[in-house]
Formats: sequence, structure tokens, C-alpha cells
Amino acid sequence: MTATQDRPEMTPMTSGRTINLIQAVTEAIAEEMERDSRVVLFGEDVGARGGVFMATAGLQERFGKHRVFDTPLSEASIVGAAVGMAVRGLRPIAEIQFADYMGPGFDQIISQAAKIRYRSGGQFTAPMVIRTPSGGGVKGGHHHSQSPESYYTHTPGLKVVMPSTPYDAKGLLKAALRGEDPVIYFEPKRLYRAAKGQVPDHDYTVKLGEAAIRREGSDLSLIGYGGVMPDLEKAADALGAEGVSVEVIDLRSLVPWDRDRVLTSVQKTGRAVLVSEAPRISNFMGEVAYVIQEQAFDFLTAPVGQVAGFDTPYPYVQDKVYLPGANRIVAACVQALNY
Amino acid sequence: MIQPFTPEPIRFVAEDGTPVQPLPERFTPDVLRELHGLMLQAREFDRKLITLLRQGRTTFYAQSSGMEATQVGLARSIRVGHDWVWPYYRDHTLGLAMGVPMDELISQCLGTNSDTCRGRQMPHHFAARRQNFVSISSSIASQVPPAAGNAMAQKYLGVDEITVCTFGDGATSEGDWHAGMNMAGAAQAPALFVCENNQWAISTSIREQTASETIHIKARAYGMPGYYVDGNDIIAVMEVCAHAAGQVRAGHGPALVECLTYRVGSHSNADADAEKHYRTREEVDAWLARDPITRLEKLLEHLGHPVSAEERAALIARTHREVDEQVLRAEATGQPDWRIMFEDVYADLPDHLRQQEAFLRAEQSAGQGGRA
Ligand SMILES: Cc1ncc(C[n+]2csc(CCOP(=O)(O)OP(=O)(O)O)c2C)c(N)n1
Repeated sequence: MTATQDRPEMTPMTSGRTINLIQAVTEAIAEEMERDSRVVLFGEDVGARGGVFMATAGLQERFGKHRVFDTPLSEASIVGAAVGMAVRGLRPIAEIQFADYMGPGFDQIISQAAKIRYRSGGQFTAPMVIRTPSGGGVKGGHHHSQSPESYYTHTPGLKVVMPSTPYDAKGLLKAALRGEDPVIYFEPKRLYRAAKGQVPDHDYTVKLGEAAIRREGSDLSLIGYGGVMPDLEKAADALGAEGVSVEVIDLRSLVPWDRDRVLTSVQKTGRAVLVSEAPRISNFMGEVAYVIQEQAFDFLTAPVGQVAGFDTPYPYVQDKVYLPGANRIVAACVQALNY
Repeated sequence: MIQPFTPEPIRFVAEDGTPVQPLPERFTPDVLRELHGLMLQAREFDRKLITLLRQGRTTFYAQSSGMEATQVGLARSIRVGHDWVWPYYRDHTLGLAMGVPMDELISQCLGTNSDTCRGRQMPHHFAARRQNFVSISSSIASQVPPAAGNAMAQKYLGVDEITVCTFGDGATSEGDWHAGMNMAGAAQAPALFVCENNQWAISTSIREQTASETIHIKARAYGMPGYYVDGNDIIAVMEVCAHAAGQVRAGHGPALVECLTYRVGSHSNADADAEKHYRTREEVDAWLARDPITRLEKLLEHLGHPVSAEERAALIARTHREVDEQVLRAEATGQPDWRIMFEDVYADLPDHLRQQEAFLRAEQSAGQGGRA
């Protein structure tokens, strides 16, 4: 489980194109709708408007109003209806306009989507995808910048993913749609246009539950997901310039998450720094830290470091101070290295 | 006599400015001119704020052009500073007409040190304690159940205040809306619910929003009267809102008023291309012809008290000057310090936040910003 060559993202692409993350999302939806007539897409403003971020632009024209449609302004209706459709045999993609607005649909997510398989003894299932832009860095204040993933990773029955590259965005979304479980698919909105990368011309998926090694290193494992990944890369560059060899891991998928890959890395480097922008208390990375200390305690040469958001509502004016950037990540790494 | 559940919106003045029923005495030419001034001020405020947006001095704005009669009319139908208001994010005109000082609105939009909300919310989300104008949440319809609770408290306390709760047409699809309406109805709480039905929720038309013919008829299900009013006719809005507020204040339980109006601009700056994507130029033009400010001007002309071009120009110039001054004054107060992040999370600063504050202080004094 350690060779990186077996990972599709590491295999050189024979033919491909460079696109951004939001294009990857659009392509994944379009290709899956083409492939499988059970796939339907709906949410607030996804139709004629093409979504407030234009992630669904052109899809209504292409697939018709019966497959791509606007809904009334009600997240409970959107998520709840998706559950009902999924139970009855469709593959719904429900868009929640901002992750911050999953709140009104929360009960439907945790009481219905997450539990119908379990409570019915597997007689009924709800394979569906809830797509939603999340995270900060767009001057949105607390209602347009939150990172609520831990509410969902805490709920058994849900899968939770967050890509940071166009390749993963496309591959994970396709895999999520072909899977048998409800998936919460967070899209780091500040990377929508900022993250550019190659995707192959052929059909592919990225398996849920596998982390990606973005770069190999021997001194420290720097682990993150979603919107912070470019900052991890910058931090690794800065430390590299000082002669520190950093291994950068992108979890991509939080439930399930790639314990093997993380543990193998930490066993090699002896140090781990975990980065996410969500508030620190009950942050998903607390689980990763726990597993590292439980399973790799003897390998650790420093306490597991954590860089997270502050335990305050996301502030509007202090957007940039709030978010962990490369400097803060470097500082946490230096602390681990000097321990 | 104002009646609930009318098939057509109640109106006093036709689109061409002629009265369609006798105007109540209280609408003297002076009162009408004052209302006109307030609406024009709000319109120009919109215009100036959009300029600020284009200049990059603020980052979000949700204009209310076209909806002035609804918001000013509502403000003029309640007891400001006595009644309580749970507004939504498009309500700055309501705030202005309730006497929220312009510098407070502007400071909030700019997120400066003078912002009474301390730069924490995105622009255009005010709160004003003196006017009992409760903090705006972006989350659609989430203010409706608390408004019901606010009204229940007023009933419990035996005060003669009422609670006003506003929202758009889109909001009436949310579970919170139904929960709040039902709660207020069941409790017979003194709540006045006002739907600013501007016909669009971003790109979703009222027809796609609900199969219900109107919003106000939904009141029936919650055991309260539902009033239907031409939201571009300020006299109608004031007559209906004042009547409904009076009934609510008199202890007859909650009421819903649907003001049929239109937002002539885009939903927000994030949606500057409305016409291209989801609505037609013809539709917008048809509503421009029903403009509330023009309608009142035509009425004043009809009554023999026209607003002269000079008066109008002077009013516009005054608003522009005032906004410019307030912007400079607000900007001069600077940006709130990073410390404000940790205040007001709780009444007292708990230990973990104290530690995080110390961490950030050290980082800032070392000159290392989070995202440098
Ligand atoms: C719970 C929730 N879902 C989605 C949004 C995103 N959103 C912001 S405004 C808006 C449309 C609101 O329409 P309406 O209630 O009619 O008010 P209007 O803006 O037309 O005045 C939407 C969907 C939100 N703010 N809150």
C-alpha cells in the first residue's frame, strides 16, 4: 500500500487537457448524465442560471428540464427529495448553494440519507450525492465561508469527500455517483478557478478513501485536504528551500479516510502536521491525530502538530488572518522539527 | 375598510398616478412629499453603494431599487424603537426609513472600525439596537421562528409591542418559514409577517417557487389573516400594514401581509447579468412602468403639488453628498483589528480562545500574517 506509482494520478497521461476545478465538476456531471439516465441534478438556481458559481452552466440546455431543474428555496426539500428519489431508483445530485446553507437540510441528511440503509436492514438505500461549495477566502463572512465537514464526518452512514485538484474533483464525483451510498461532496470554492490541472480524455474514477501523495519526503508528513492544499505546497517549498524534506498528503476523502497511507508516511517521517481551515474543536483532523498517536506512537519524534481555523465564527474583515496560510503551516512544521 | 384575502392586491393609486379610491386624510401633500423624499433617498443610496462596489470598496450589495414603497411603507406603519423587527438582507431601505443612521449602514457595508457590528458579517447585514432592528442572518427564513419567539415573549411580558418579520418570496419555501408561521399562529403571538414578494429568488421565479397562487393565502393554513397589497403603492402599503399592525397590537394574533413588488436590479453583485440568464427585458420594463417613486410623483402632480425638477435634483445631490461624506468618515476609522475576532463569541473569553488569541498576537507581532 505504499507504492505511489499504482495511483492513477501518478501515472503519466497519454492524452489530456488542462481545466480548472469547476470545469471538472461540470464535466463529471455531464459525463455521468450521459452515461446513466438515472442521474438527475437539481437545487437552487442550477438550471437557467447555471448555479451561482456556474458549475452547472449549460446542463439544463443539454439534458432538459426534467433532468436538470431549479427547486423551491428549501434545503430540506432538496435533500429530502433526493433521498426519496434515490430510494426509488434514481441517482440524484443535489446541489446546496453554499455549505453554510446545509443547515435547513441537516435533519434530512443525518436522519434520512445517512440512516435509511442501516435502519431498514439494507432493504432500502439512498445512493445520492450532495454537492456544495465550502470554505473561506472569498470575503464571504460567516454565511459564505464555513467549513462544516466535521458535522458530516461525525455521522455514520455518510461518505465525505473534498477534492483539491481538477483530476480528483472529476474522478471523485464520478466515483461518488457510481457508488451505493450517500456522499457529501464539498467543493473548496476558492479553488474553483484557482486550481488548474490535467484530466485525461478517457473515463476514469478516483476511489473514495484513498489519499494522494502530492510529494514524497522524509522529514515530516504534512497532511491536509481541500482549500488549504496550495498552502501546504507553498509551505513544503519554503521548507524544502531550507533543506527539509516534506511529504505532502492530500486526504481527498475524509470518510472513509486513508489510514494506511497516512500511517505509512508518519512511520517514515516521524512527524506529522495536520492542516484544515475548519475551527479546531471537534475538527476532523483531531481524529487523524488520534489514530496517528494510537497506531504510530513509537515512530513519533514530535507531538502531532495541528493548524486549524480559530474557534470563532468565520469573520468577514479578518478573512485572511483567520485562514491558515503557508507561514502558519511552516511555523507549525518548524515547531515539530525542533521538538 | 381593509379586508384580508382579497383576490387582487389592494391599491389606492393607479400606475398613472390617479387615485382608484379616496385617499385617507392623513396623506397630506406634505406627508406624501416626505415619503417621496425617503424613497428617493433610498434609491440613490442603492446607486451610490453600487458605485462603491464597482470601486472595490465593498464586496457585496443587495439592492432594493423598485421595492422602496414596500420597505418605506412598512417602516412608516410601525412604532419605531418600540416594536421589534426581524429583517432580512435586502432591508436597508426599511432600516433607513426607520431612522437607522446612514453612517451605521455605510460603516457596516465597509466593515470599518465604525461598524457597530464590528466587521464580522458580510456587507449589508446590519443590526441596530436603538431601532430594535435585530441582526440580519444570510440564512434564508432562519429569522422567522425567532421572530415568532420574540412575539411570544412580548405577549408573555404583557407589553403592547409587536414583532415585525420580513422575508422574500423564496423564503416562504423554507421549513423555517412554515415552522415560524405555525408557531406564531398556535401561540396567537403579536407578530406581523411581511412578505416582500419581488417575484424572484435569484433566478427562480415565484411560479417555480410554489404552486400556490399567491403567498398571502398561505396564512389561512396558520390561522391568521393574509393581506394582499400592491407593494409599489406606498399609500396602500401603509394602509394595509397599519391596519394589520393595529389588529396584531390589539391582541388578535399574528397576520401576514404580502406586498407584490419587483426588484428591478440584479439579485446581488454576484448576479449582475440577470437579464441574460433568466428574465426578459420586457418583464423588467413592464415593472419599471409601475415604479413606486414615479407613481408617487404622478400622484403629487395629479393633486397639484408636483415635485419640481430642482427639488428632485437637490434631494439626489444631498443624498450623494451625504453618502460620500459618510464613506470617507467611515473609511477614516480604519479596519477593525484582528482582536475583534475573539470578542463576542461568548460573553466571557474562555480559555481556549484566550490561548488562540495569544497565539495570533505572537504571530502578528512577528509580522507573519496567516495567509502571507
Ligand atoms: C438557507 C439558504 N439557502 C440559500 C441561500 C442562498 N440565497 C441567498 S438569497 C437567495 C434567494 C432569496 O430569495 P427571496 O427569499 O425571494 O428574497 P429576495 O432576494 O428575492 O429579496 C438564495 C437562494 C441562503 N442565503 N440561505
